[in-house]
Amino acid sequence: MSALPSSTIVEATSVTRQFQMPAGPVFAVRDLSLTIAAGAYTAIQGPSGCGKSTLLHILGCVDTPSSGSLTFDGQDVARLRDHARSLLRLRQIGFVFQRFYLLPMLTAAENVELPQAEAGVSKPTRLERSRELLEYVGLAARAGHRPSQLSGGEMQRVAIARALANRPRLLLADEPTGELDQATGEHVAALLDRVNADGTAVVVVTHDSALASRARRVLTMKDGRIDRETTA
Amino acid sequence: MSSVLSFAWRSLVRQPARSTLGILGVAAVGALLFDMLLLSEGLVLSMRDMLDRMGFDVRVTASEPLPGQGADIEHAPGAKRALEALPAVRSVTSVRSEAAVMRGNGISVPDAMFISVDGPTHPWTVTDGRDIAADDEMVVNRFTADTLKLSPGSVVNISASCGGRAEAPPRTDFRVVGVVTIPFEAPQRAAGATTIPGLEAACGGTRAGIADFLAVASAGDTAAALAAIAAARPDLTPFTNEQIVGRLQQGGFAYFRQISTVLITVTVSFALLLITVLLTVSVNQRLGEVAALRALGFSRRRVVLDVFCESALIVGMGGLLSLPLGWVLAAALDDILKRMPGIPEQLHFFVFRPDALVVHAALLCATAVLAAVYPMQLVARLPIATTLRNEVIG
Repeated sequence: MSALPSSTIVEATSVTRQFQMPAGPVFAVRDLSLTIAAGAYTAIQGPSGCGKSTLLHILGCVDTPSSGSLTFDGQDVARLRDHARSLLRLRQIGFVFQRFYLLPMLTAAENVELPQAEAGVSKPTRLERSRELLEYVGLAARAGHRPSQLSGGEMQRVAIARALANRPRLLLADEPTGELDQATGEHVAALLDRVNADGTAVVVVTHDSALASRARRVLTMKDGRIDRETTA
Repeated sequence: MSSVLSFAWRSLVRQPARSTLGILGVAAVGALLFDMLLLSEGLVLSMRDMLDRMGFDVRVTASEPLPGQGADIEHAPGAKRALEALPAVRSVTSVRSEAAVMRGNGISVPDAMFISVDGPTHPWTVTDGRDIAADDEMVVNRFTADTLKLSPGSVVNISASCGGRAEAPPRTDFRVVGVVTIPFEAPQRAAGATTIPGLEAACGGTRAGIADFLAVASAGDTAAALAAIAAARPDLTPFTNEQIVGRLQQGGFAYFRQISTVLITVTVSFALLLITVLLTVSVNQRLGEVAALRALGFSRRRVVLDVFCESALIVGMGGLLSLPLGWVLAAALDDILKRMPGIPEQLHFFVFRPDALVVHAALLCATAVLAAVYPMQLVARLPIATTLRNEVIG
């Protein structure tokens, strides 16, 4: 898990995402081009409503650009049918959400197991992988706990373990520390560092400057465009 | 599939109160549905069973109306002999009944059913004592025996109305030789039976030689007996048990089928609405979770299947629970309906038949599918990105 190949995972070209509103069309993303390379660590910052999350959703193939193109591993995502897109997300992309979205009726281990089950991984392999991942995020002792028995930071760490369950090449995190206090947020940020160091490309949308500063590339968005790009 | 079912089960367990409510609702509705299915054919099946158990497969009347409802057969002994001579006929029993006042031990019962027969097969079952063997002997039903304090060996005095004739009939004494169960006897109604000569004697000899109907036991082929009777006596109308039941189905019994059809529609619609509302509320409360699962790569088919399995589990468990509940309810309702005056003791409104179970299961399956359509559509058409964005803003 240490090699950092420079091949492109996802490439957005002149992407625009427009929403039809009663008052007229709103452009969440305007004519934006972006490339995410394997093993990259990119943070996207900007004021509320500037289009950060929309861009993340487009990169994660859960939203479709109104114009422009998106390729994932060289495949034109627009040409993929819904089932193929789901498979792409299942096997290549991990999502971490601000609100965790762990399933409350499942234990931490079962939450981590779930995407693997969907991917058709055998039960013994799933159990082993879930155990490894919970150990990786420091929650091996909490494997049998349900989300209601975990703290916010613990829930987000389980969510990260779940996102990594099918060994994705790209991890997308939308405000992963948004609901956490500073100290807990730093633990989660450190975990994302580690995930990236182990070879997974990470794109994180955040208002948290401390989290953004950990990325090697920081994109600042304004009015649906990349206003500034800094590289560490 | 088992993992999807297990997932759906855990989703239900997650909201125990709502799920329990849904299952109980389906159980209640399913029980009513089951009862309506039993009611729709219950009377017909019960009537058919009673007719079959009496040991006759053809009944012959003087006119088109059903036995006991039309004109009497005049010269019944001659008609009886004519039918007995047919090879397709094994035996013929004349049946005539009149209203009567019964007296015994200083107690009297008005409006008793006074039956008489002439033939080898008697349409009753002896439960105490023996059957009649002479014209001055009589068997009575349990209600009469208890009310008039009669037992084999007692004497009962009869005043028969004999076709509503004006002059008072003579009082005739009969010796009680047995207590019987009569298939069409109503509870709380006195009934007794003797021979046709015995009844004619009680009527003072007036209107002798008539019968309400002739009950025929075929030699084994009901259709052949029917055809032979129709050919031999075109002035009479023979009915098979099947035809009698068919007539009843077209007549008064049709109301029960219509009522049960309406109630089945209402109960299924109610179940449909109940489950649709429960599932829709449940899905709406976890749209964020569903969107997150889709973002994590769960296919549309999978999340739709989850909702369907939840519906199937609610309906399946409620449906299973509805069967014993429906059974108990049917017994209670049957008991209530049988208290109506004139309903024979052995007639049942709710009668179990295996195909009712099949229809019950099929209707509930259809309900589970239809009830899940709208919430499945909600999940299938869920815009992932918009939902995730709205959840954060919300």
